[in-house]
Amino acid sequence: MAEAARPTFRPAHTGFTDTIATVVVWLIAIIVTGVFVWLLSDIIWHGIGQVSWRFLTEAPRNAGRAGGIGPIIVSTLLILAVCIAVAMPLGVGTAVLLAEFTSSDNLFGRLVRRSLDVLAGVPSIVFGLFGNAFFCVYLGMGFSILSGGLTLACMTLPILIRSTEEGFRAVPDEYRLGAAALGMSRTSSLIHLLLPAAAPGLLVGMVLGMGRSIAETAALIFTSGYVDRMPQSLHDSGRSLSIHIFDLSMNVAGGDANAYASALVLIVILLIVNSVASWTSDRWLHKRIIS
Amino acid sequence: MKLTPIKMAIVSLLIMGTIGACSKSDSSEKKLVLTGSSTVAPLAVEIGKRFESLHPGVRVNVQTGGSSRGIADTRSGLADIGMASRSLKDSEKGLQAFAIARDGICIILHKANIVSTLSDEQVVAIYTGAIKNWKHVGGPDAPITVVNKAEGRATLELFLHYFAIKNTDIHPDVVIGDNEQGIKTVAGNPDAIGYVSIGTAEYDETHGIPIKLLPVNGVAATLENLSNGSFPLSRPLNLLTKTTPTGLAKEFIEFARSKQVHDIVKEQYFVPLAK
Repeated sequence: MAEAARPTFRPAHTGFTDTIATVVVWLIAIIVTGVFVWLLSDIIWHGIGQVSWRFLTEAPRNAGRAGGIGPIIVSTLLILAVCIAVAMPLGVGTAVLLAEFTSSDNLFGRLVRRSLDVLAGVPSIVFGLFGNAFFCVYLGMGFSILSGGLTLACMTLPILIRSTEEGFRAVPDEYRLGAAALGMSRTSSLIHLLLPAAAPGLLVGMVLGMGRSIAETAALIFTSGYVDRMPQSLHDSGRSLSIHIFDLSMNVAGGDANAYASALVLIVILLIVNSVASWTSDRWLHKRIIS
Repeated sequence: MKLTPIKMAIVSLLIMGTIGACSKSDSSEKKLVLTGSSTVAPLAVEIGKRFESLHPGVRVNVQTGGSSRGIADTRSGLADIGMASRSLKDSEKGLQAFAIARDGICIILHKANIVSTLSDEQVVAIYTGAIKNWKHVGGPDAPITVVNKAEGRATLELFLHYFAIKNTDIHPDVVIGDNEQGIKTVAGNPDAIGYVSIGTAEYDETHGIPIKLLPVNGVAATLENLSNGSFPLSRPLNLLTKTTPTGLAKEFIEFARSKQVHDIVKEQYFVPLAK
């Protein structure tokens, strides 16, 4: 009898300790949510007054106290685009290698995995100094959006690779066997079957990576730089939103109002980017599996 | 949607193409790179904007990071012009320094603190840990929170020089970087003592931030006393070059020292050099 075999989780009696445990769990959940709501409402409360179409499009004036953040939004998006364009193919490629072409106890695979885990824990300022020394000085890119984006790509790669790899590993082996039984080549089963099935892992990695990138100051201040002019090319230095917020709140007297407004814009951009990523991945996943 | 890997390749090719195209178009432009003091950086950005508007085709790129970095980058050639918010030390005399404005440093306390003046000796005693409680200098019975600047900051070096103390003798409770950070730290802690740029502190005090500026050696910390030269704890904001400046760098430095930028200097709460 299937009905009887199904386990029930209702306890026989509710003791005093259970009540305490319930209260504690709820309390923790409320505190965590409360901190987030407080932070968000503080930013919205202080920032919403400044945000207008002009604020979003104009260039900053008087060290950012007046004017808008148009060029800074553009720089931020360009840095993010460079980062994703470089990190995505490299990340997916490495994840495929780790998950599909090496067994989990392969020495090389273990070595790569271990170094990625170490890299994922390295503080961003270290990536910033590396990016400055390697991209800006050694490769001669100078302070530029390109150097900044590449540095961020280095920083987000470990997270991206590891979570995409987990995505591939979560795909049941029956998929691979089924594909092989149908005579699909390894490449086409990878493209048509495994990649869409592993998309959620890729998405998680991308969202985490982009979140870390868009909020980054330490890795960018010495690579993409401090210039708040509208960038003409990827070789121009461009200030990211996070650096602008940092500078306005920590270095410029009277910059707080615009710092709040910029923080609000940053959060909105992050939300938009994340929803777009999850929407495209959903669509992609759906189409692939069906067709 | 079957061509995704190919699309990916096309996108990467496009990006490579853009990068290649950009690197070619860049070489014809005249570019001036400034790095260094975070105190000077916002001022240099604004001067740079005005300079750009007067010289079409020129780009003034300002990067920040602290005076020590400005000096190092000027030496290594990474920057055309360095920025330092202090005078050059003897070991740095190989560089050329051009003052563009003056700034002063003042001691700040929380507004609620009843202490209204500290002698130089008392400041030294607080920072070296000889006095650890406000009650010894006429304040409430509360431990003093010492806020110090991070290593490599010009404000720190000027402070140490004026009060003749070594940084290793200071045991700070909080170490801060930029000016506003110092002010926010003190404004958020009634028992804190810190030191920051006068211009920034005066602006924040008049805009309702709960801090107060202490006189140094009996002279009130105001921009007025700074500009008439009576305030003792002051520093020049310098532009640095490796050799005698020529061409664009020379033009920029002359422009930054001219009367044409006095309004910008005042807007950033510094004192223009009387000339």
